[in-house]
This record gives sequence, structure tokens and C-alpha cells, in this order.
Amino acid sequence: MIDATSRRTVLLLSLAAGFGLWAVAFVVLYAMLSVGCAFGWDRGSLVLGLSLQRLQLLLLLGIFLALHVALVVGLKARQSRADAATDRFLRSAARLAAIAALAASVFTYFGAVVLTTCNP
Amino acid sequence: MLAGATVIFLATSLALAGAFIPSVRPLLTPKRLILWGGLVVPSLGLAALVAGAFALGERLLPRQGAETLRIEVVARQFAWEFRYPGTPVATRDVLHIPVGRDIDFAVTSEDVIHSFWIPRLGGKIDAIPGHENIVRLRADAPGTYGGICAEYCGEGHAPMRFTVIAHAPEDYEAALTSEAAR
Ligand SMILES: [Cu+2]
Repeated sequence: MIDATSRRTVLLLSLAAGFGLWAVAFVVLYAMLSVGCAFGWDRGSLVLGLSLQRLQLLLLLGIFLALHVALVVGLKARQSRADAATDRFLRSAARLAAIAALAASVFTYFGAVVLTTCNP
Repeated sequence: MLAGATVIFLATSLALAGAFIPSVRPLLTPKRLILWGGLVVPSLGLAALVAGAFALGERLLPRQGAETLRIEVVARQFAWEFRYPGTPVATRDVLHIPVGRDIDFAVTSEDVIHSFWIPRLGGKIDAIPGHENIVRLRADAPGTYGGICAEYCGEGHAPMRFTVIAHAPEDYEAALTSEAAR
């Protein structure tokens, strides 16, 4: 049985979950972009005219967007079991933040789909 | 930039003026102000800026095939050296370029990391020792532009400026020749 204090601690931390995920996605995408450029993954095409560089970025972006959606859904599922008013407020705030983070990831990372990745 | 700032300023002034007009004031509910002023308008502005920056960024890339001029840029504490391949000319803190032509600047450094930046012409690029970065810039009008080091590189960083002189195409060769005679 989790006591109320540690449950609130988890809830408080979940406020940062959405944008925490955004930050992790930023670091991973940026790092893998640079790794891909260093190894020349942008040259040539593997499948459907897409380079290995584009494919790995699309795959990573897809994974992170799926995690974002899972987070939003997960926070909703737990919402019904809320009891105290504080808990309800924290849950809905965390969920709204997670939705905002999903929108932020789509907005900031869609460049990975369309932009030139490496210096030609 | 100025036009955008003027539009935002006028829109904000209008909303503010509305607060003093009794018939308009009830329309300015907190929810509407937050939704429009805090979400919709900034999102539209940011989206436009991001789209513009992405398009400009693509233009700064040194793509193959185009008829470009190459100029080598070497940064060191605390000066800029410009070399013009095909000529013996090297200039210090003064950069000569022709107008209306894409120029690939091959930028490197001899000591620490600097950053090559001519704000009026576009984006900056890091000057990294042992590595060559290329940025493609273009001046559309003749004149003098300011350039500066945009990455802190030591105590002489702040005055590490250079002058860009954009010549009409027919004057460019003459400018290099007179530099060579120096
Ligand atoms: Cu500097």
C-alpha cells in the first residue's frame, strides 16, 4: 500500500513527465543526427528513397511520439481513481502538461522529417 | 521584422484600448485573453518564424553544382584572416566579396572555437580547430557590412570584429588586385 505522501510525490513528479520526455527526445535526436552525419548515413538510399539517416530519425521520432501518446493515455486512466481534490488537480495538470509536451514534440521535431540533415 | 513588430504592437495597443471602452470591456474575458493572447497569437507567430528559419537554413547549405565562389576564413585569437583561392591575396579583418553571387565560406580556426557571423547576410557558423565548416552567404546590395565573432573565445572576443565590403562584380577583381599590391 502506498501512503498518501509518496503518492503525491509521484503525482508531483508526473507534472514534469511530458516535458521530461520532450527533453530526452531532444538529446537523443540531436545526438543521433550528429552520429549519422559523422558516419555518412545521409548518403544514398536504403528503402523507398530514404537514407539510413532519415529512417533512423523517423524511427526515433515515431518511438518518442508513441511514448508521448502513451503518457497522455496513461495519465487519463489513472484519473478515475483520484480521491482528494489536490490529487485530482495534480492529475489533470500533469495530463494537460503531457498534451502540451506532445504538441511541442510534433512542432519542434517535425524538421527531422523534412529538413536536410547534414552539410552536403 | 519591423513590420511584424508593428502589427503586434498595434494589436496589443488595440486590445489594451478596448479595456477602456465600456461596450468592449465585457468581451475581454480572462479566458479569451489567455486563449488568444497567450496561445493562438504566439503560436501563429512562432510557427511563421520557425517556417522562415527552416527555409532560410536550407538556403545556407552549400549544395553541389551551383556556381559559387569559395573564400577561406581562418579565425585566431583575436583576428580574422580571409584567403581568396586562385589569388595570393590574404586580408586581415577586412573581407571583400562580390555582390549577387553565392559564396561558400570555408571556416576554420587555429586555436579555440570562434564563430563567423555577418548578421545582415544570414546565419553564423562555428570556426573549429582542425575542422572545416562551410556556410553559403550572399550579399544582394553593395556596401559595407559588419561581421563579428559570435562565440566567446577569450578576453579579446568582444572587439573581434571584421568589415565586409561588398563590391559590384566589375569592381571585385580590382579590389583584390589593390589588396595584393599592398
Ligand atoms: Cu570570439
